[in-house]
Amino acid sequence: MLRGQGAQTMVDVRVAGCLILLTLCLDAHALNAAPLDEAAERYRPYMIEGIGEALAGARELRDRAAANDLAGAKKSWLSARAGWERSEVFTAGFVPELDAQIDAWPNADCGFHAIEAKLFGAGRTDVQGDADALVEHLDTLHRKLGDIVLAPQGLLDGTARLAYEVGESKADGGESRISGTSLDDMRNNIAGIDFAYRTIFADTLKSADAKLADRVANRIEQLKTVVAARDLPHVDVGTLRRASEELVVAIQAASAKLGLSRPTLEAQSR
Amino acid sequence: MIVRYACATALGIGLLFCVSQGRVAAFPVDGDQTALPAKTELNEDALDKPREVFRSELAGGKSYLISLGNLAFSSPSILGEVARQAGINCGTCHVNGAGNAKFFMPKMSTRPGNFDTTGPLFNPKADNFMLDPVRIPSLRGARYLAPYGVDGRMPSLRDFVHNVIVNEFAGPEPSPVILDAIVAYIQDIDFLANPSLGPGARLVGKISDSERRGEALFAKPFPHDPGMSCAGCHVPSGGFVDHRQHDVGSGGLFKTPTLRNADFNAPYFHDGRFDTYDQVVSHFDKVFDLGLSAQDKKDLVAYLTVVGDGVLPYEHDGAGASLKEVNDFSSVLAMAIPAGDKAIVSLTVDTVGRELRELTEQYPDRKNTVVSGGEQERNQARAVLKDVVLSLRRIDMAVAEGRLNDAATDYRNYRYLMAAAVPAILVNAEPWSLFNQTVHDQHYGALRQVMRSKRTSR
Repeated sequence: MLRGQGAQTMVDVRVAGCLILLTLCLDAHALNAAPLDEAAERYRPYMIEGIGEALAGARELRDRAAANDLAGAKKSWLSARAGWERSEVFTAGFVPELDAQIDAWPNADCGFHAIEAKLFGAGRTDVQGDADALVEHLDTLHRKLGDIVLAPQGLLDGTARLAYEVGESKADGGESRISGTSLDDMRNNIAGIDFAYRTIFADTLKSADAKLADRVANRIEQLKTVVAARDLPHVDVGTLRRASEELVVAIQAASAKLGLSRPTLEAQSR
Repeated sequence: MIVRYACATALGIGLLFCVSQGRVAAFPVDGDQTALPAKTELNEDALDKPREVFRSELAGGKSYLISLGNLAFSSPSILGEVARQAGINCGTCHVNGAGNAKFFMPKMSTRPGNFDTTGPLFNPKADNFMLDPVRIPSLRGARYLAPYGVDGRMPSLRDFVHNVIVNEFAGPEPSPVILDAIVAYIQDIDFLANPSLGPGARLVGKISDSERRGEALFAKPFPHDPGMSCAGCHVPSGGFVDHRQHDVGSGGLFKTPTLRNADFNAPYFHDGRFDTYDQVVSHFDKVFDLGLSAQDKKDLVAYLTVVGDGVLPYEHDGAGASLKEVNDFSSVLAMAIPAGDKAIVSLTVDTVGRELRELTEQYPDRKNTVVSGGEQERNQARAVLKDVVLSLRRIDMAVAEGRLNDAATDYRNYRYLMAAAVPAILVNAEPWSLFNQTVHDQHYGALRQVMRSKRTSR
């Protein structure tokens, strides 16, 4: 009887042990997700600030253009653009429709590039309709940001996606070739990646795999060094692409350690 | 004949386009902040690419060395900094081993199709302070065409390639294996077949009277110099060359160019001064006082056109052609990974990754305003291509760290993806890709319009 009880106890312990292990395995996501969820919340003010800067710039741009002040309008466009580019970690994945309207390309009838073509290309300030639309879209986005659910998976996806994009060839002058600000776009993109990683994922990854965390941080630093070049023709494209891809590979490896799925490289392809 | 005239017409239209559009709507490189002069035209967006025929593929398959040479030929990283930054590689000028009649680079060209190999841009140390561009030659049949260079100054193709890399483009000293490989690749590029040329390159088959008369005129001694004839230098049985340099009144001694596939090699003469055979024939008539009648000239042009023809000179660019090239390139990894050859693995990963990233951009993303429909298909195409780029990068990282087994596993996965999933996904997305002529024209039309507005404002 006692022996039986003892055996039963052993079995119970084993079952319990197995259950705990199983729970640990199954709940790896939940266990890690909680601190990540909290960390993602810390990202929210940065997001609001970036889009807030873009919105303020767009409003200023609208006013300067209305006053026929080409130089002032260009300056405001640049300021709005900087805020936007820093926010690209989340825009494509979290607000794809607004993203497509705000950042449409190449013959956009609204958004940044439509205005860029007129201001920097044609040297015209008749952008009232475009500027109104940009302000409206950014304002809608800005108002959404307080409530938007910030899933860590979506933010990891966005970070990986943007890390891949910064490695793309800029031999043709890049995305903002008309204003000549493609290098600024890259710098702001990398600043956005850096902030998202440090704020949301770095601590959890350090405790899970310090070596991998080092690798991610190291590749982000490499990217920052490459885009510190004085102008686009001096950006070392080989190192840029290598660092970009190695960063994505490292982030992909990190996803498992963070209890998340492997990041997708295109918005909405999950 | 229909094909021949269609080619000649296409060539004519192409030349017309160069003259009327080439310097006005240069693209894709046209931003202010590129390493290349504004208004450079590389013609990289062309949907029709010269068809490349490999001698080894007719026999069985490409060797490791030939594939490596083809890869290096397509890699900016073997050249100097300016070329690397701009993504310029040997294949930029010698598209699929042929030429590039639309290539134009301010400061380095005087007309579409020529290039100053001693100009200021790529290697200031080799700058001779003269704008003296030479036409970009096709490399088809190069193994029959020694000596090398328009002036035939180099008997060895290997020395010539070395000079292009190190002096003309300021590249680092290439390893012997890379030099050997590029030479093997160039020597593998065959002429396009020409069924009108029989034994000894005599015209055979359905030949017109005019072509037949042209053939006779071609061999006829010059009236004032009976020791000379067209065929005396362009020896029909010898690939239409004599491996020598001559002064034909164009400003110096230049080697005899081949006439094989020359219908697709315009512009003509060492500096590309002539667009058409008519101009070439008139030049010889004048310089050598040949006394050709209008009919004689027509007959000679007809003969040159039939000699210079080739089967299927162009092929439509598409995912299939790109993937075939990429698969040829990456086949190098099958030997380089087990050998732990870090340099070759890196070269392959960088070059193939670059090609795959370019291929990705053929499938416009959601923000592109000129494409509607097929969003999911385009998305899948972009995603799978990015995945293979990253799988290559993992191979590079693994080999660099000595993890050869991991690299071999990643390579197997890469091959698996490239054999089945990738082609299927790309075929699905093709209707909404830039390989579709309509989408292509809308996309580049929109870009040109935007860039033009910029120039107009200045």
